[in-house]
Amino acid sequence: MRRVPAIAGRELRSLFASPVAYAFLTLFAILAGFFFLTQLLVFQEQLIRLQQFQMFEQLREWNLNDQVLQYFFGVMAVILLFIVPGITMGLLAAEKANGTEELLLTSPITIWELVLGKFVAGALFVALLVALVGLYAGLLFLYGDPEPGKTGAGLLALLLVGWAYVAIGLFASSLTRSQAIAFFVSFVLLMVLWMLSFLADLGAADGGSLGGGVLGALGGWTTSGLRYLSSADHFEQLVKGLVSTRDVAYFGVIIASFLILTKAVVESVRWR
Amino acid sequence: MIEAERISKRYGDLLALDDVSFSVEQGEVVGFLGPNGAGKTTMMRILTGFLPPTDGTARIAGHDLFRDPLAARRAIGYLPESPPLYPEMDVEGYLRYVATLKGVPRRERSGAVERALVRCGLSHVPRRVIGALSKGYRQRVGIAQAIVHDPPVLILDEPTIGLDPVQIREIRGLLAELAAPKEGGTQHTIILSTHMLAEVEAICRRVILIHNGRKRVDAPLAELTRGGARLEELFTRVTMREPDEASAVAEAGA
Repeated sequence: MRRVPAIAGRELRSLFASPVAYAFLTLFAILAGFFFLTQLLVFQEQLIRLQQFQMFEQLREWNLNDQVLQYFFGVMAVILLFIVPGITMGLLAAEKANGTEELLLTSPITIWELVLGKFVAGALFVALLVALVGLYAGLLFLYGDPEPGKTGAGLLALLLVGWAYVAIGLFASSLTRSQAIAFFVSFVLLMVLWMLSFLADLGAADGGSLGGGVLGALGGWTTSGLRYLSSADHFEQLVKGLVSTRDVAYFGVIIASFLILTKAVVESVRWR
Repeated sequence: MIEAERISKRYGDLLALDDVSFSVEQGEVVGFLGPNGAGKTTMMRILTGFLPPTDGTARIAGHDLFRDPLAARRAIGYLPESPPLYPEMDVEGYLRYVATLKGVPRRERSGAVERALVRCGLSHVPRRVIGALSKGYRQRVGIAQAIVHDPPVLILDEPTIGLDPVQIREIRGLLAELAAPKEGGTQHTIILSTHMLAEVEAICRRVILIHNGRKRVDAPLAELTRGGARLEELFTRVTMREPDEASAVAEAGA
């Protein structure tokens, strides 16, 4: 495992040697700023309205964590859905297109070192993105008093969901030499994983529609299974501040599974 | 140093290598010849552990390539057909990275990189970005990455392809130097594939010729060129015989 930092370091240096990394960082920062600001303005407006109508009951429950940060983190998780595939698409596909795969696979390193090195590079970049989000959330501490625990849980949720995306994107990148295909495959996989819970909701709520009817017929077991598989559901639990082993373990399992799959695919290049 | 035992490689229906065996002693420089598609690159990819053979085994510096792959790979320097370069890295950073991959200890890395730069005539361009280098220089960087960890075995797939005559002469000088170092350096064992027969005559002491996946010739160069015989004639004779044989068989069958 000694070569993991070298592989991750080279990947990050190459990422920052091209404008791609900066473009993604800028795009992400602008989007984060936009959604942060709009949600804050909405919050302020509603606060004023509640005061005008003297609705003290609601006013007592109105807070920055539930009305601003939770929503903000949720939107950022969806934006990561678009950004992470752009970062991970080249991780392995570029090595193949470049011919450098031959250097890596004839070097005295294990395939695990290669896969983990690539994952660590992507994970560190995502950590940088989450730190940006943390910066915005941190602003609230200057002017208000959100709960540190809940805010921390939200950032943790974002980090975990981002790392799971990296593992899935890395897997997609191992399948092909085309970065465009890698992007598309990982985006579709992430989308499906995220939307599984909507499918489950459909089954639970709407027995009348065709899709809902089918799912309803399959029974509650299927809907709860779908909901368990969905990344959105586990993310929501964490963002609410409910940090449970069950939800953290879910992301751990997703990351581990896709790293194992990636290793198998890289290995299979030798046996094709 | 290199032992290939009954190696076969099948891609679907195509038999790329058919029962090829040979062994190379330490310090030998072997020219690997054959027409395009003969199986040279496949053989080199197998010897470096990039591709597994369908059948057969190989040992590099005494390490079985399949049972002890990391030790075997550590003993090899490999220049693939197209040099495995990262265009966005600078020459020195790239060589340092390769040295790390090849397991050169941290303390010795700077020295190893420096040595490779000097040997390949790159010491005046360590900070240049690889993507901005000329083809000849890129080829030199490719050779530098193959020798940076001072491996006992070098496997070079067409090291002088696409170079101008002056560059070719420089690379040949470098290869000759690697095979017979002046002062106590590692005596490298080298296999190189090439289309340039003059290159083989200039630096190789032994020739292995494969054609249609089979070994046709394996002999010292001196023996093949005894009495003024030209390598080119031998090459033409061996590689042209095949279609004749095939048509002869077809005629016999008809």
